[in-house]
Amino acid sequence: MRRENHAEQAQIIIRSRLCSPSFIFSILSDSPDSNYSKLKYIVSSSVTEACNNSVLLLGPRGCGKNAVLELVLEDILKEHPDMISVIKLSGLLHCDDSCALKEIARQLCIEHQLLFSKMASSDDNTQFLVSMLRECGFAHKTIIFVLNEFDLFAQGKQRLLYSLLDAMQSVTSQAVVIGVSCRLDADQLLEKRVRSRFSHRKLLFLHLSRDDLHRLLEHILLLPTDGSLPHDYVAAFNTKLLHILADENFHGIIDVLSYPYSTVSELSRFLFSTVCRMDLNPGILSLENFKAALTSVQRQPKMEGLKDCSILELYVLVCMKRLEVKELESCNFNSIMEEYKSIHDTFQTSDYYARNVCLRAFEHLLQRGLISFEDNRGHLQSSEFRPVKLLISWHELQQGLKSHLSCPVLLHKLMDRGN
Amino acid sequence: MAETPKTKKSKASSNKTPNLKQSISPPTPQISTTTNTTAPRRSLRLTSATPQKFQQSAVTTPNIRQNAPLGSPTTISLAPASPQLTESKRKRKIENGKNEGLETKRASRNVDKNARKGSGRKRVYYKKVVYDGGEFSAGDDVYVKRREEAASDDEDPVVEECRVCFKPVGKRIMIECDECLNGYHLKCLKPPTKEVPAGSWICNYCEARKSGKKAEFPDPPKGKKRARTAREKLISSDLWAAHIDSLWKDVDGTYWFRARWYVIPEETSVGRQPHNLRRELYLTNDFADVEMESVIRHCFVMNPKEFSKADNEGDDVFLCEYEYNIQWQSFKRIAEIDNNEDDGGVDSDDDWNSCDDSESDTEEDMEYDIEKGHCLLSGPSPAHSLAANSRKGQIYGLQKIGTKTIPEHVRCRKQTDLEWAKAMLLLATLPKSLTCRDKEMDEITTFIKDAICDERCLGRCLYIHGVPGTGKTMSVLAVMRNMRSEVDAGSIRPYCFVEINGLKLASPESVYSVIYEGLSGHKVGWKKALNFLTERFSGENKCWKKDSKPCVLLIDELDLLVTRNQSVLYNILDWPTKPNSKLIVIGIANTMDLPEKLLPRISSRMGIQRLCFSPYNYQQLQEIISSRLKGIYAFEEYAVEFASRKVAAVSGDARRALEICRRAAEIADYRAKSLPLSNSNTAVIVGMGDVEAAIKEMFQAPHIQVIRSCSKLSKIFLAAMVHELYKTGMGETTFEKMAVTVSCFCSSNGELFPGYDTLLKVGCKLGECRILLCESGAKHKLQKLQLNYPSDDVTFALKDSKDLPWLAKYL
Repeated sequence: MRRENHAEQAQIIIRSRLCSPSFIFSILSDSPDSNYSKLKYIVSSSVTEACNNSVLLLGPRGCGKNAVLELVLEDILKEHPDMISVIKLSGLLHCDDSCALKEIARQLCIEHQLLFSKMASSDDNTQFLVSMLRECGFAHKTIIFVLNEFDLFAQGKQRLLYSLLDAMQSVTSQAVVIGVSCRLDADQLLEKRVRSRFSHRKLLFLHLSRDDLHRLLEHILLLPTDGSLPHDYVAAFNTKLLHILADENFHGIIDVLSYPYSTVSELSRFLFSTVCRMDLNPGILSLENFKAALTSVQRQPKMEGLKDCSILELYVLVCMKRLEVKELESCNFNSIMEEYKSIHDTFQTSDYYARNVCLRAFEHLLQRGLISFEDNRGHLQSSEFRPVKLLISWHELQQGLKSHLSCPVLLHKLMDRGN
Repeated sequence: MAETPKTKKSKASSNKTPNLKQSISPPTPQISTTTNTTAPRRSLRLTSATPQKFQQSAVTTPNIRQNAPLGSPTTISLAPASPQLTESKRKRKIENGKNEGLETKRASRNVDKNARKGSGRKRVYYKKVVYDGGEFSAGDDVYVKRREEAASDDEDPVVEECRVCFKPVGKRIMIECDECLNGYHLKCLKPPTKEVPAGSWICNYCEARKSGKKAEFPDPPKGKKRARTAREKLISSDLWAAHIDSLWKDVDGTYWFRARWYVIPEETSVGRQPHNLRRELYLTNDFADVEMESVIRHCFVMNPKEFSKADNEGDDVFLCEYEYNIQWQSFKRIAEIDNNEDDGGVDSDDDWNSCDDSESDTEEDMEYDIEKGHCLLSGPSPAHSLAANSRKGQIYGLQKIGTKTIPEHVRCRKQTDLEWAKAMLLLATLPKSLTCRDKEMDEITTFIKDAICDERCLGRCLYIHGVPGTGKTMSVLAVMRNMRSEVDAGSIRPYCFVEINGLKLASPESVYSVIYEGLSGHKVGWKKALNFLTERFSGENKCWKKDSKPCVLLIDELDLLVTRNQSVLYNILDWPTKPNSKLIVIGIANTMDLPEKLLPRISSRMGIQRLCFSPYNYQQLQEIISSRLKGIYAFEEYAVEFASRKVAAVSGDARRALEICRRAAEIADYRAKSLPLSNSNTAVIVGMGDVEAAIKEMFQAPHIQVIRSCSKLSKIFLAAMVHELYKTGMGETTFEKMAVTVSCFCSSNGELFPGYDTLLKVGCKLGECRILLCESGAKHKLQKLQLNYPSDDVTFALKDSKDLPWLAKYL
């Protein structure tokens, strides 16, 4: 009973670690070459030296751009309390200029306990922004603008970026613009007069390297020895874990995991599902947990979708495949039915269903995304007449048929012959 | 001259007059006691801090103050006291026998108005008052008595004495200790010195105290009480300092002034901070009416720039860098006028212009202005009811912004050459002199001068073009600054200047209202503004005609004003051609052929006079950078040259060059800071390596690094893309073909093929980073893919990857 309690507690500890990006990235941030210390240097030097800067954080999704930024902002806020106001915008929400300006004004008002008016025009908001920048400069306060999904701000006339960056060209203002984007060419999207005003500091966030990955694994999974958990339990847990980490099989699992994508978010998803699979009775992670987690993380949605198809749906797919092989221009439900009928006529199968049943199967396939309409035109037409196309390739279909439990032999034959 | 109500100051105050008038009576009795009784200043402050009083107090808003010198050259007629008047003053002084002397009558308009309003009392405002032998004018700083007896106990010695020999300065040189502020004759020092030591100097006593020893100052000779100077009294809070805002003679003949108090650091909420200088004061937002009787004499409160220059100006010199807000107990830097000059642009000009034209304003407008003044400075009550961001660009509650304590780091000097260099390379820092654009600036100057000085003043247009960062706007603004000083000197006719940035307008049409506001100070809708402007420039309106000065209109980012039927541009460019328009338009844009792209009727109006700002070449860039870095040894010479050559080769953008150098300095600084402490003594200089790193960061696309670091499957995917490209010669391919190639790669090299779905996701992730261009993943096998970077880059990145050595054979 007690053991189970400890195990639950350990699970909670590890899960909460996995859910806080700041914990995960705290280990990767101590070296002077890390993005954390570089970014922190840039931001804190612009706070202390009262200058304006603009930085771009680039890198694929899941590599911790925002997590590192959060860490840095947290530390800077701690170091210089009351001197910094952070304005956060997201390109998905505020890519419209006037809306972004309004949001900036709103957040500034909240930050400085001013009364905000929704009715203000965008001219007013621009002026408000400019004078706030000046006043904050006089009060030695730095305003940090975080623009998430920076690439989306770079659409249209880029008025917002222009007015932000242009306001930063004066001595009195003190601001940092931090753009976060997963597009590597985000700075090329800027119009040239905006680009000229941008100060082009770039920090690149890369995928996890192997060494980092192993450091991270230990950092996340090893239980703290000085926590509330009993010592012997922690010791047992940690020795077993270190044992697993050194295991060849485990290395295999990690290789498979990081083969397609090696990002931090992928790793933490994997570990989360591992920890959830931990058996509470011994309360210790086992290699099986990791294995099970791997299969649950790397899913093959289309294959699984095929696996769940009914026999009739498989028939429809194979018919479509055959039509495709015949290189007909396009097919719709009626041509599929003709093909189905011809198969039935030649092979005299037992699986012959009425037209309306087939239509239902056809619509089901559409909903699953295994087939789709060729274009978005003709909404008014009923689905029977609209041209459709197959979304899965021959290999996938064949594999799906093989792994299907009750697939008729005829279909295999048809597939092979069609090729 | 003195009577002209056209001075800025007087006009600023004229806004407030109605309010003042009502308020005079209540505070007067209360404060008039101050000089006679021993009311401590604290309590007086408290009474004055009540909101009700603030309502009454007419306050020069900081906004107006800081903008005042910014004002357009339309109002240059500042009225200095002319020599004749001084004479008359002397006469009067004799006549009066005693110490009251009338000086310039300040803004007679005010008086008129008061009289008209029918209040029996009259308050006469003066610009300058001679009182008790001293000459006081608005804007001066004075010592004010705190307690009656304290002030009267002995006559204040104006002359400071040496702390050692207790003799006044005399002919010998006396220097001041930076710590205790005592003065010492050079001769009295131990050992005696001949020359004034450079830099900061601390006396022997303070030095001894600092090192822990006990050091007593020498006792004064018997019979001679050590006289405290006014400065010492002020610093030990026995005296006050105040800024004179306005001066007036009250009905009963007593002289009063409106004082804006200074506080010493001890009197603020946070107390004296370690970074405070001994002679530091804070300007408060606390006002009181004080009788002239309590004034002792002048003191001199200076901003840091003046203060650092003030060497020999005696003992009554103080430093004031910050404003202290009593209600919020917060600090704010006082705006320096010359720093403010470049950021002003449209807004501040507008602010000022609106004050300018208050003559023509209606009474209500004035009241509104007064209200504005109050809300900016007074207590929380009015600010709460008003939103901060909504009222015609007037922002409420800005007084709330301020630091509770002044952070120490901002007060310390820049330590190293590197930090200096970084500060100098900031884009915001205006260089002392603009280099490399003399020819263009001359051309602009002659253009404007020709246009203005012309008797008929035919309107003209100038189109300036050039790539970003070649100093177009900066040159024009610099020319305008020079012109303004010439206007001040009186060699050119006054004109008005309106600056507009096309990208900062909400819509092209709103340019009309901005221009109209710039000219008249009123805000109207654009259609109305267009009518007014057309009237004005075509000279139909009578009332415009009388006072119309030439108007210089600067439109930055002109291409943003192009609308579908191009009517906005046409209107703006058509006005100058009208007789009597007196309009000069300077348009700035990036594209060289903007006039040609426009309708012929516009290009014929705009394209006559053009000025091209060619990109800087590397020598010019180098000159720009090194002129900023003059006297700072932080850069290797080659490093600057390298950076400027690189930028000149790419764009010739001075901003880029400066940013590269600043980034390089940052990199060097970062390197220096991460060094172990033992090595930190050696100065780090920005070398080629740092510049190289900065250039790389700015110009190199990061895709190669990302490709190198990405997962195995992504690399295989990319290699398959390149392979496919070479095989078919087609840039575009579909996911189905790719999948076949990848699975073929994998099976022949013993790698795992993870399945189509995973592969699709990998492709989509690459598409997200824009290494690939791809359609949405929902299209699955029909998804079209294309490399976003040249295939050579991908090949280069993948050629020697360690984990997949076999990739090279497919590339």
